[in-house]
Amino acid sequence: MSARALNPPRPARVRWGGGRPVEVNGEAVESLRESWLVEDRWWTAEPLRRRYWELVGERGRNLVVFHDLSSGRWFLQGP
Amino acid sequence: MVVCVYLPRFELVIAAGGSQALAGRALALAPLVGAEQRVGEVSGAAEACGVARGMMLGEALARCPELVLVPPDPVRVAETWEGSLAALESIGAAVEPASPGLAYFQTDGLGGIHGTREATITAARRALGRPVRMGGGPTRFCALAAALAVRSRRPLLLEGGEARRWLAGRSVGLLGFREETAMLVAPLGRLGVRTLGELERLGRAALTDRFGTAGTLAHRLACAQDSPLRARALQERLEESMEVGDASSGEALGRVLGVLVDRLLARPERRGRTLRAVTLSARLLAGGGWRERVVFRQALSDPERILLALSVRLLALPAPACGLGLTVERFGPPASEQGALLDQDRAARAARLREAVAQMRMVAGQEAALRAVCVDPDSRVPERRVVLAPIPE
Repeated sequence: MSARALNPPRPARVRWGGGRPVEVNGEAVESLRESWLVEDRWWTAEPLRRRYWELVGERGRNLVVFHDLSSGRWFLQGP
Repeated sequence: MVVCVYLPRFELVIAAGGSQALAGRALALAPLVGAEQRVGEVSGAAEACGVARGMMLGEALARCPELVLVPPDPVRVAETWEGSLAALESIGAAVEPASPGLAYFQTDGLGGIHGTREATITAARRALGRPVRMGGGPTRFCALAAALAVRSRRPLLLEGGEARRWLAGRSVGLLGFREETAMLVAPLGRLGVRTLGELERLGRAALTDRFGTAGTLAHRLACAQDSPLRARALQERLEESMEVGDASSGEALGRVLGVLVDRLLARPERRGRTLRAVTLSARLLAGGGWRERVVFRQALSDPERILLALSVRLLALPAPACGLGLTVERFGPPASEQGALLDQDRAARAARLREAVAQMRMVAGQEAALRAVCVDPDSRVPERRVVLAPIPE
């Protein structure tokens, strides 16, 4: 048995509108808390470019999603 | 390359007394006493009458009135399967057993012993000494698909890119062989998805959205991706068995069990170690067998406590027995419980935690208890901050 990452990204379905995510996996977004850009490992063959969004869903929970700027896909990260 | 070893209808063949008994006869494994009334594995003739594994007993008999029910024999199945796994291990293979009749091993590393990949497969076939279907591929799912596709003694071996193309034409019914994806077969059929190629084209995100983690795994399998094999650890077997004569049930059987426990604890091979888990088995007077795995709350070597834990299980025996067996599945640490002179709360807590982790693993698998280790707590990438690592034994 080997070590594995905790909290790995999971593919998510995100609907975009008005310059920000408005729905994550069918759950409407109530408000946007924060957004930030992560650029890392640009010196390697597999650079990492992500735009993170911290959101509050209509059920009152925090949602952290990111847009992978290399592949164009969306992921959900967090509990 | 991963090689799949598949013995079709293994449990039915063993319970019926050989593969010849299945020829042209509609047979099915009877449900276990006390379990849900569904038939187990079925013969080809029964399948031709519309009977399938897992079907309700009433429906199976209505579809095929001449269906013969064979009492299941989990004891002989376990013994024969253990023998087959040991035979594979005897050629040097590290084997991952999936279920009785289905196992995988990796050919990499065996070339030094047997030469070519084909020679390794031939050696495995010879070691098993019975008709077996074998297939090979880059992952266990590809190897399984290949083993199911062959109808002759010649194995089907698939290489990387070729495997993915070949897999695309296979039925999504193959997902039924994997516990995590078995529930997808019916809904995919209703959605009109027939082949793994069609499934792959749906895309991983869409499948995850619809079916959760099972959808992700199904897509990975269809793309010829899978986790590495996890070979079983070699185990030493220690077992005791006895004919019970007239003591086929009740208190008399309890006394036979007491003798078995005493004999097992007296075996020199135990070398003072405690017992973590055992298997209690019985051959039934009416035919067939019964077995139950018992994991103790604490690793034990006290005969009275072991007997107390096992006597309760004996009450679940479905019918009078003609033979009783007790096998050690896993040993615990050597018995060394001694009182402490000084207050050792911390050490006692650590010992209790170790015990709980070991028990949890025995019941729910190796990954049931893991430790979170901070490797890069300040990383801007969340999945790099903490990893889950095994807790040392």
